[in-house]
Amino acid sequence: MPFHRAFRCALAVVACIVAVAGLAGCGRGSGGGGADSDGSSEEGRGQQGGTLTVFAASSLTDAFGELGRTFEKRNPGVEVRQSFESSSTLLTQIQQGAPADVFASAAEEEMDTAVEDGLVQGSPEVFVRNREVIMVPKDNPAGIREFRDVARSGVKLVLAEEGVPAADYAVEILGKSNEEYGSGFKQNVLSNVVSREADVRSSVNRVVVGDADATFGYASDYTPDIRDRVEVIRIPPDLNIIATYPIAALKDAGDPGLAQEWVELVTSEEGQRVLEKWNFEPAA
Amino acid sequence: MKRRRFPRPIWGSDTLASGLAVGALALVAGFISLPILSLVLWTISEDSWRAMGSPEARDALLLSVRTTAISMLIVISIGTPAAYVLARAEFPGKRLVDALVDIPAVLPPSAAGIALLLTFGRFGLLGKYFDAFGVTISFTTAAVVIAEVFVAAHFYVRQAAVGFAGVRRDVEEAAMVDGAGRLSTFTRVTVPLAFPALVAGAVMAWARALGEFGATIIFAGSFQGVTQTIPLAIFAEFQTNIDSAVALSVLALGFAFVVILAVKYLTRRATEYEG
Repeated sequence: MPFHRAFRCALAVVACIVAVAGLAGCGRGSGGGGADSDGSSEEGRGQQGGTLTVFAASSLTDAFGELGRTFEKRNPGVEVRQSFESSSTLLTQIQQGAPADVFASAAEEEMDTAVEDGLVQGSPEVFVRNREVIMVPKDNPAGIREFRDVARSGVKLVLAEEGVPAADYAVEILGKSNEEYGSGFKQNVLSNVVSREADVRSSVNRVVVGDADATFGYASDYTPDIRDRVEVIRIPPDLNIIATYPIAALKDAGDPGLAQEWVELVTSEEGQRVLEKWNFEPAA
Repeated sequence: MKRRRFPRPIWGSDTLASGLAVGALALVAGFISLPILSLVLWTISEDSWRAMGSPEARDALLLSVRTTAISMLIVISIGTPAAYVLARAEFPGKRLVDALVDIPAVLPPSAAGIALLLTFGRFGLLGKYFDAFGVTISFTTAAVVIAEVFVAAHFYVRQAAVGFAGVRRDVEEAAMVDGAGRLSTFTRVTVPLAFPALVAGAVMAWARALGEFGATIIFAGSFQGVTQTIPLAIFAEFQTNIDSAVALSVLALGFAFVVILAVKYLTRRATEYEG
């Protein structure tokens, strides 16, 4: 009987080791799987197939959505998968090994970090520019008529999270405005902030729903489907900051050829036309 | 003697089966412990303990404690009598009410957030009347509490109803025969007998409120010290500083351990009562 129990114990220990080894094997197996998919995508290119994964700033949602369909039409069998989030979130995900082929950022800063970390293939290209605006609900509950009104007390202002380019540009603009409107301006505006959203599209949505009185967004965020619910207030050009968007193929791209093709489409005349249609400004 | 009726198991197959079962358990345990281990290892290797003392972390912790305490106060004071009615009374539509209580537990929290926004938001069904009186709920700590109560109440009410149902009616009736009123029977007999179940339910509800993310970020928004609870702070920090996101996650992990241990202890006591 004692022998029997000892045997069971030994068996249990062996089972545990097998289980742990199995898990470790899984880890390695997925690495091998990556190599496998490399092989299959090479094979796929022969038959014009494969997947392209694009990580893009959330302000690019509509323009890149349209370009994705163009790309799929041009490359039959290729599937374009896109993830739209704040550039800072995307950068963190890429740093943590997310399987992205292309990174399109709403600010140079995130792209610079990606380059420093050796994640980028070749050098990034600025492909488009964007302008910040103030957005308010159509019925404008806080009565905001011009840019400086956002500093009035009681305005419920929503910004994107710190580190999100749209919000960082906004803070930069406020810094510049201090010279124009007095030194307390930036502080007054920032004390009106009631919520920090994950990305610029989420903060625009707060205005669309009508719970926020105002937000900073890009001109390109004023898309046709929100035009009947949102009003745009211009920021004086001498105070505004032009956002520049860099794009680059990533080192770990499953199919570097496809990734490069995407960059070429975005920077091509056709790509620029689509971006302009969605209120972006040409890069040059 | 009875054993003889079964065919004598082949010695090897029996141990093989139990070995495989043990292996399966090891797989489950490994699957859960590896991510936990990764959190702890990262914290040690990257020395991110310091981030736990950052103002963001401190504000999030304080806000989480404050909002969940208020939520629990509301859930317990309203949930206790509600659960008693659910356990004892028969009334038309009881099944419907019974099912309604379960819905927030099954509904994705993000859907709950949208639902709350459309109810209490500035243009919401109720919110527009509040707004007329100058009361806004979105982006306030009150919104966080509403979200927490909405998603967590189920856990307390359900558990409390089970606890009350376990209290024998004749014990309550005996107390009333002895001259106790309905209310004092409830507070002096029924509640003490169901107490372990009530506490276990409250702890589960508290844990759910503490982990609340989806409904809060959609309905209440995220602002440090006002609506940014621990889960929202983890999400916000993930954008800029992964070290402090990890540190906050470890903090949440510590809470989870305390909650599980408390529930295990209390449910054991509850079954001891019954036995």
